[in-house]
Amino acid sequence: MSEAVVSTRIRLARNLKEYPFPIRLSVSQAKEIVDLIDDALKDCGIKFHRIDLDTVSETMKIALLERHLISPDFVSGEQGRAVFLSDDNAISIMVNEEDHIRLQVIRDGFEPDEAYAVADKLDNALSKKLNFAFHEKLGYLTQCPTNLGTGMRASVMLHLPALELTGAVHRIGANLSKLGLTIRGLYGESTKPIGAFFQLSNQVTLGISEKAAIANLKNITTQLISQEMKARENLLGKIEVEDKIARALGVLKTALVIDHSEAMSLLSLVRLGVASKKLNTLSTDSIDRLIVEIQPASIMTKCGEEMSPQERDIKRAEMIRERFQ
Amino acid sequence: MLCQHCQKNEATTHVKTMINGEYAEYRLCPECAHEMGYDSMFPDFTADFGGLLGSFLSAALPARSGATHCKLCGSTMNDIKKTGKVGCSECYDTFFSELMPTIRNVHGNTEHIGKRPVIEYETVEDDKPEQQEDKKLESLKAELKQAIEDENFERAAELRDKIKELEA
Repeated sequence: MSEAVVSTRIRLARNLKEYPFPIRLSVSQAKEIVDLIDDALKDCGIKFHRIDLDTVSETMKIALLERHLISPDFVSGEQGRAVFLSDDNAISIMVNEEDHIRLQVIRDGFEPDEAYAVADKLDNALSKKLNFAFHEKLGYLTQCPTNLGTGMRASVMLHLPALELTGAVHRIGANLSKLGLTIRGLYGESTKPIGAFFQLSNQVTLGISEKAAIANLKNITTQLISQEMKARENLLGKIEVEDKIARALGVLKTALVIDHSEAMSLLSLVRLGVASKKLNTLSTDSIDRLIVEIQPASIMTKCGEEMSPQERDIKRAEMIRERFQ
Repeated sequence: MLCQHCQKNEATTHVKTMINGEYAEYRLCPECAHEMGYDSMFPDFTADFGGLLGSFLSAALPARSGATHCKLCGSTMNDIKKTGKVGCSECYDTFFSELMPTIRNVHGNTEHIGKRPVIEYETVEDDKPEQQEDKKLESLKAELKQAIEDENFERAAELRDKIKELEA
């Protein structure tokens, strides 16, 4: 599985019954909600760090986005937004994004059941302290009706270079909606895929239990991976493809300046080479970590916020060279 | 049926459009649907929702419940249509009949069968005792359904007995 699955995420959307949804929320009400959730989290057995979004720099926000700890929508938001992060960043709770609460659990690899168990437990702890908006017929009430019911989005981040090279991923994407699933780019809704990384997630949340939705996602993921593996077998027999992979590693090991999109496409090729045992270099896990670290804002939070794009590209090349030593 | 665009492949996608008040229907194959942007490769569902709602509702109609706006947050059906976002939890009751067709269209279902909050609030505080019992029964039945689905038969048997007791 690790050949093609990078990580798994479970997200639950919840709202407080007493307050209007974020679209109709005043700044003072929004702040009240942040405090209520802060309090509720104190006795849940997990330690959280609170980050009020209006107190951190733009770069910091984008770095959080690059690590999938907050969403693109959340960055551009108004006052009264906060995110609570667990020590290991595996759990994030966005407050006043599209819903009052967006609870998210991320795990490396393909572990939807384990991720859901953590989310479920935390959700239960919170529901004892907070009054969640719940409707007999419609389930958990959410600002956008597309999330009604379980309010759960289960997603897996997939690396599908062979299906992308052959163009099959687009055909598959068109058919997935019939199965209640959707496939998107790296950063979620309406983003383009880069480096052949895709997010597969459930679309339907009403009339399907959490367990069934996760089972469905697992089933389709397994099928997608087996198609990807078949496509890889066909591709990797070709000298042109193996040459491309070998050259990609060569460039990564020697480049002095490299922009994000070039780095991503080369790392994608090298990841394919490693996963198919054509290259003997970093493991897929190390490559996945590197992919997170070389994103623009992540470099800047690490090395100082006053960096020009060129300085960033130089730093990125340096980080990659070091890692592939 | 063959795709109306390329006339070659089997049509599997059914597209209905309303552009400047003109209604049109097409049947397309996956390739053409993709080319013309009618697939779900990268759908921005949130942004589409307003449009989706709009296609179901005519602007002039008042809510079937008779309400022009939500008592709790003040949203009108027009506000919801414009943004694709519902104002508060109360809106779902106020505009229930108006929202239902779209909800059905998005999810294909209209009944929640997943988990419930561990401690539930009372929807109407001054319920009469019989109503409270009805609610309890309803929630037990939902729990039973879930237990069967989860193959938790021990719990299901317990729930079945409780339901019998209440119904007697």
